[in-house]
Parts: sequence; structure tokens; C-alpha cells
Amino acid sequence: MSPFWQQYLPLAIILSSLLPGLIIFTLKETQVKLRISLNLLGVSIKLVLVLLMWQAVKAGQQFYFSLPFLPGADLVLQGDALSLLFVVLSSVLWLATTIYAIGYLEHSPLRSRFFGYFSLCVSATVGLALAGNLVTFLLFYELLTLATFPLVVHRGTAESLAAGRKYLAYTLSGGVILMLGVALLHSLVQSPLFTPGGYVAAVLSGNEGLLMLAFALMITGLGVKAALLPLHGWLPQAMVAPAPVSALLHAVAVVKAGAFGIIRLVYDVFGVESMYALQLAQPLMLLAAATILYGSWRALAQQDIKRRLAYSTISQVSYITLGVAMLGPLAAVGGLVHLVHQGVMKITLFFCAGNFAETLGIHKIRELNGVGRRMPITAMAFTLGALGMIGVPPTAGFISKWYLGLGAAEVEQPWLILVFALSGLMNAAYFLPVIYRMWFLPQSGPWPAEQRLSNRFETHWMLLFPVIFTAILLVLMGVFAGTELSPLSWAQLIVEREFRHD
Amino acid sequence: MMVLLLVLPLLGALLMLLWPKVAPLLTLLTAAVCSLVALQLVSRVSEQGSLQILLAGWPSGLAISLEANSLSSLLILLTTVLQLLVALYAVATYRRDKLGAGFWPLSSLLQLGLTALWLSRDLFNLYVCLELLGIAAVALVSLSGDKAIKPALNYLLLSLFGSLCYLLGVAMLYGAYGVLDISALALQWQANLLSSAALVLMTLGLMLKAALWPLHAWLPAAHAAAPAPVSALLSALVVKGPLFILCLLWLQLAATTQAQAMAPLFSFCGLAALLLGGIAALRTPLAKNMVAYSTVAQLGYATLALGLLLQFNQPLFAAALWLFVLAHALAKAACFLAIGEMTATLGGKRLNTLKGASQTMPLAMFAFAVAGGSLIGLPPSGGFLAKWALLQGLWLQGDQLLYLLAIVVVTLLSAAYVFRVVALAFDRAKPVKPDFAPHIVPQWLALLPALAVWAMTLYSEPLLRLLKQEGL
Repeated sequence: MSPFWQQYLPLAIILSSLLPGLIIFTLKETQVKLRISLNLLGVSIKLVLVLLMWQAVKAGQQFYFSLPFLPGADLVLQGDALSLLFVVLSSVLWLATTIYAIGYLEHSPLRSRFFGYFSLCVSATVGLALAGNLVTFLLFYELLTLATFPLVVHRGTAESLAAGRKYLAYTLSGGVILMLGVALLHSLVQSPLFTPGGYVAAVLSGNEGLLMLAFALMITGLGVKAALLPLHGWLPQAMVAPAPVSALLHAVAVVKAGAFGIIRLVYDVFGVESMYALQLAQPLMLLAAATILYGSWRALAQQDIKRRLAYSTISQVSYITLGVAMLGPLAAVGGLVHLVHQGVMKITLFFCAGNFAETLGIHKIRELNGVGRRMPITAMAFTLGALGMIGVPPTAGFISKWYLGLGAAEVEQPWLILVFALSGLMNAAYFLPVIYRMWFLPQSGPWPAEQRLSNRFETHWMLLFPVIFTAILLVLMGVFAGTELSPLSWAQLIVEREFRHD
Repeated sequence: MMVLLLVLPLLGALLMLLWPKVAPLLTLLTAAVCSLVALQLVSRVSEQGSLQILLAGWPSGLAISLEANSLSSLLILLTTVLQLLVALYAVATYRRDKLGAGFWPLSSLLQLGLTALWLSRDLFNLYVCLELLGIAAVALVSLSGDKAIKPALNYLLLSLFGSLCYLLGVAMLYGAYGVLDISALALQWQANLLSSAALVLMTLGLMLKAALWPLHAWLPAAHAAAPAPVSALLSALVVKGPLFILCLLWLQLAATTQAQAMAPLFSFCGLAALLLGGIAALRTPLAKNMVAYSTVAQLGYATLALGLLLQFNQPLFAAALWLFVLAHALAKAACFLAIGEMTATLGGKRLNTLKGASQTMPLAMFAFAVAGGSLIGLPPSGGFLAKWALLQGLWLQGDQLLYLLAIVVVTLLSAAYVFRVVALAFDRAKPVKPDFAPHIVPQWLALLPALAVWAMTLYSEPLLRLLKQEGL
């Protein structure tokens, strides 16, 4: 590949969604066809570019683009194995979500604004994945907050505005604290590129206190989006957003941005050795384990489908944090692969919840009785997603939990296996009854608000196809985990590169 | 070149009085030409270092001397560009908003006063500029008609009082040292009771004119009462004039002991302004008052940076100080123009008027939000650059956790008042209907400075370099 491409490909990947987004803002409501074509054009270009980059990174190439920004911290975009994991995830799921959103929002007002911000949101996510240093990461992290706020309040009702305010209060506070931490670290070591093995080791002696403070500040800032324990309050409330937005928030954009930031921080800023030297892993591990149990526990009591899924997200995202915090290669594989697997599973579940709500007006779990006969495909997809969350083989969820368990054994933290088992049990306890209701209980009354969206399928095809796509994907990722194309092998490649330095 | 920057607006103002019909055109023309000249000045100063001229060939000491260093030239560029922008906005709206004919010559005089102020390095010349600035500003506020009489009078009295305090200080110094040129005065400076008293008097006067907490009470009423283009000029530029003189006094004249004694006071005033101004902005029900209180709060950053600069003598704080001034000027101009446009179109002064504005006037609302991002300090905006410099300075200094904590709190406070408006704008329940079809051009003009403040980051490296080495 020519050096020109190597320089501008990361930028092109961001622009492929940013430019259509900006054009969409200027379109009129009635220009539906043009808007849809622009959206799909952006998605396709992005996928092709990502594919190109994926091939090249696999072959060992590096991508690097920089603009002068702050002294000692340029605006750097770089494509390495870890960033590609997140880029591929967000691009593929963006495709599914775009189609879903087009179907979901058909005939609703203010669609130009919605799709404009939608594209900005994905651009910010991809930028965050490609960010080459902490300052660039911070920049996209804040942009993501700004781009998602209009989506959360899109309905414009009092309830969604309240949720939006809470969301902003949490994420902006988190952003400011992250900025404080990044500034502290910058004053100590500047902001070099993310490097496997970290870059703080050089200033370790004499600055232990400040480094620990910086780590704590940054984890707090990232923890808000990753919904770590005391900072998770915004997530269940942000459920009032339209279904495609919830799906995006939970599977790709916001929550994952926090988790991805924690991965970068632990492996590429501090590095395993400094983490050991500063004894930072243990508290992070405890926090993540507590969040896993707490999220599952709270999910048990929720009667609203989306709220139950929201608490489940709180729990599941912390698996990623936990896998990272264990600092062992196997656990890292588990955490990284869960980043992808959780995304695909959770997006399936949210699509399904949206389908039930759109087609039949179902929002509560007790209304799901017998839905398997009316909407078999959606119910099947939901079942697969739920089984994946519990960790039943051969779904994708099993693979990540297997590696996390192995990792816990490897770093000799047997109590973590207990945490996994307990959380798995609770997962089963809140998902299995739902599955039971869908398939084995008779319909208890007329559906709350039934709509015939299609003559041929159980619901509108644009709502159905993305669900089928992600449901198949999550099974394939489990069944073909051993092949070269799977996220698992990619996670292994990343871990190999991350841990190779020592 | 510098003379041209002074003569053009003066000549323009005189011609406008003679031919009122072409006044808008003349204003635009002067501002445009001056912007080009200012741009050239910036590039020349950054290449050759600071320029100094003595007017009319008199020997130094007698002649009026003008000095353009990189900071002054940047401020001149800012002044002329904002002047041009505001004039364009005024041209686009003056039929609708019934802006008085006095606006055109007065705004040119304002530009003259500011340009002269950035270039002067002599205490008495600075006083003259200050007076010119004050009178022009008061007259501009009173353009709003009857409802602005009271705030304008208030502004006039306080402004005159401030000038008198300053003049008294100047007289004391002249009696003691016999010179008024700042660099000459600095050579003979002694830290004694007299010089301290003079400094305190001048500082009081300047703080009053710059609306630095706790002497800010006149600002919200005056800035809110003025027509939108005038508020933009006042908040963006006029309050920065006295601030500039204040920095000259304390950074170039005051002895280290005096500066050290004053530093905590400035820091305290800055924090108090940020905190109390922010709270006031959060509580006020009126749209323009909110923006005006935000000016009080944001000036606190500059005061805080000045205090820290005096205390620690760290060049990063100098950079932070002037970055705040530049970023705030652009952002505040955008805010006032956007809010002015929205209140004019939606018909109402209260914040509630902006309900649903993201549907009815998306462009203006976007301009406000983008400018607000810089006020909060979100990356990659000019406000972020300034805050970053401040944070870097504090972390490098070490053991300044209290300040850092305070900065977190006030950042969130500013986010609260900006997003209070933005959240209101996304309310879809009962959007306020526009009184007439929204005009597109003024909305774009409000957006331009907001985009410019985000574009500042593209030039962060040269900006930081210039401002750090310059200090003043």
C-alpha cells in the first residue's frame, strides 16, 4: 500500500461517516431517498475502507496520520490491531443500526436531524478507536458526549429531557475529570503515542503518588461511560431514547467508549509492569467484580424489558474491565473478545425489544407471554442473544466467559471464578423466565398496541433483517471461534502484540 | 501601518457624520480594510519582532509612542475582524431591529479607541483611550431607547468614576516620577507606599471598568439592555480594554513584592467571579442576562490566570490568560448574536422563549451550542486550549489541588448554564412559533465566530508560542 494511503486512510474512515452526516443536516424532511442513499453510501464506503485497513494491519502495517494540536500532543490517528477491533465492530454494527433506524423512524418527524447526529456519533466513536494518543482520545470522547445528547433527547418529551440532563451531568463531569487526569499525566510525561507496554515506566520512580492520582482520575472519567459502580446512574434512565439509539449506546458507542478507554489506559499508557508496580490492578478488579454482581442483581428486579437489558449492560461491560484488570494474557483475550461479543449480543437484544415495542406495543416482561408464536424470528433472535449473555455454548458469550475463567485461573484469583459463576446464575435467572414466557406460556390477552407493518413478514423487513443478521453473527462468532476470521483470533493477535514486548 | 489603523476609523466616523446615508457601507469598508492591514501587521510582527513608532517625528518622551508586539497585533486583528462581523450583522438586520443611525459612527469610534489602547504604552494615552472607549460604549448602550436609559446612565457614572480613580493614580505617579511612559517608569519604580497607593487606585478603577468581581454589578443590566450587535461588541471587546491595562500595570510596573501581595487577591476575585457569575447565569430567567452573567464568570478565568501568573511567574499562565481573552471574545460575540437573533425572531426576552429553538432556528441554536462548547472548555475549542494551559501550569507547579478542584466545579457550572439552554431548545412539546420566517444570513454570521473559536486549535502551536514568550 502506498504511503499516501497509509497516511490518509484513518482520516478517510472518519470522514466517510462525518461528511454524509453534515450533508444530511442540511436536507429537507421530504428528501427521504437522498438521505437514505447518503446514509448507505457512507456505510458502504466505511466498510470497504475498514476492510482495506484490516487486511493491511493483519499483514503488520501501521497507519499514522497527525495534525499539530497541543504542544507535545499532536492530533494523531493511528490504526493498530486494538483500534481495528473497535473500528470493525462499530462499522459493522453501524450498518445494521442504520437500516434498523430507517425502518424504525419511518414517518416520524425530524429525521434529518436524527440521522445527522447519528452519523456524527459513529464518526466520534471511530475517531476514538483510531485515536493515537490520550489527548486525541479525550477530544473524541467529549465529541461523543455532544453527539449523543441530541439522540438521547430526540423524542423531546419531558421524560427524555430529564434523562438527557442526567446523562449530560454524568458524562460531562466524567469528561472534566478525565481531562484533569490527562492534563496531569501530560505534565509528567507529555502525551506520546499509545505504546504496547505503556510509557509511564520512565518516570515511575518518585512520581508514584501523582501517577496513582492520574490513574484514579482517568478511571473515574472513563468509568462514567463504562458505567462502573457508583457512576452508572445515567444508563438505566437513558433508556427513554428510541430503540436504535439505545442499541447504539449500549453496544457500540458510549458504554464501549468507556471500556475501550480503560483497555488503552491499562495496556498502552500504564502497561502491565507499571500497573503491578503501582498496585493499581487490585482495586480496579474489585470495582469491576462488584459492578458485575450489582448489575445482575438489579436486573433481576426490573419489570421493563429495556430497563432489564440496561442493568444487564452495566454488568456485562464490566466483564471487559475485569478481563483487562486481571493483567494476564488469557484474561485479556477474554476481555477484548467480550468487547465484540457483548456488542453483537446486546444490539440483538435491543433490536428485539424495539421490534416488540414497535409491532405489538410490548414494553413489560409480563406482556411477552406467547410472543414466540406471533413473532417467531424476533423471539428466536432474542433467545439466542439471551443464551449468549448467559454464556451457553456454542454462542459467542460462551467463548468470552471461557477465556475469562481461564484467565482468572492463570493469574491465581480463584474468587473471580466464583464471581463469574454467581453472575452467570443471575443472568440465567433474569433471562430464562423471559424465554420461558415467550415460548411456553399462552398469550394472556390482546397485544397492547398491535400494528401490521408488513404483509409478508412478522414486522417491517427493515426491522427484521438487522436482527437476523446480528443473531446469525453471534452464533457464527461462537461456532467459528477457532478460524482466522473470528474476533477471538483477532483478540489473540492483539494480546500477542501487547504482551510481546516483555 | 499602525497609523493607518488609527486614521481609517476616525476618518470613517467623520465621513459618516457628513453622509449618514452611506454610513453602513463606510463602516464595512473601514472594518474590512483595517482587518487586512491588521493581518499584515500580525505577520510582520511575528517575523520581525515588535514594532515601535513615534508619532509626528517628535523625540521620545514628548511624542506619542505606539508599540505593536505580537499580543497587541493579535488583539487588533481580533478587534477589526469582530467589528467587520458585527457590522455585517447590523447591516443584515438594521431595518428589522430599527438600530439607530448613531450605531455606525459610534462603533467606528469604539474600534479607534480599542486599537489605540492595544498600541499605547503610556499611562496618560491609555487614559485617553479608556475615556473614548467608555463614552462610545455608553452611547451605544443608549441606542436601545428608553428602556436602556437607566442601565446606560448607571454605566456612565460608574465608568466615569472608574476613569477618575485611574486618573488620580496616574497623577500621583506623575508627581512622584515625572514620566508616564511605562517602560521608563518601570526603570525608576520603587515599591513604596505612594506607588502602592497609586497602583491600588488604578486597579480599582480598571476593575470597575472591566467588570471584574466584585465590581461587576453594572455589567449584566447594561449588556442585556443594549441591542444585540452592541452587546456582542461590549462583551467581546470593550471589557478587555481595561483588563489589558491592568495586566500592563501589574506585569510591567509593579515590583515583585507588590505583585506577590496582590496575586492571591486576584486569584480569589477570579474564583469568586467564576462561581457567583456562573450561579447567577444559571438562575436568571432572561436570555441576554444569562449571556451577560456568563461574561462576568468568564472574566474570572482571566483574573485567576493573572493572579496565578503574578504568584508563580509561570509563562503558561500568561498564555492561558490571553487565550481566554481571545477565545472568550469570539465565543461571546457568537453567543450574543445567536441569542439576539433568536429572541428577535421568537419574540420574547425570557429563556423560555428559546423552547424548541433547535427545530425552529437550528442554525442559531447550533451557533450558541458551538460557542458554548468553548465557554465550557470542551476540546478542540479555543476555551479548551486556554484551560489546558491553565491546568498544565497548575499541575507543573504542584500542590495546587484546591485550584484544580475549583476549576472542575466552575467548568461544570458553565456546562450547566450552557446546556440549560440547549436542553430547552430540544424540547419538542410546545415549541415557540417564530413571529416571522427566520432570516438565514444573520444566523450564519452568528455561527462564523463560533466556528472560528474552534478553528483556533489549528493554530494552537504558534498561538501558544507567541503568547507564552510575550506575556505582555
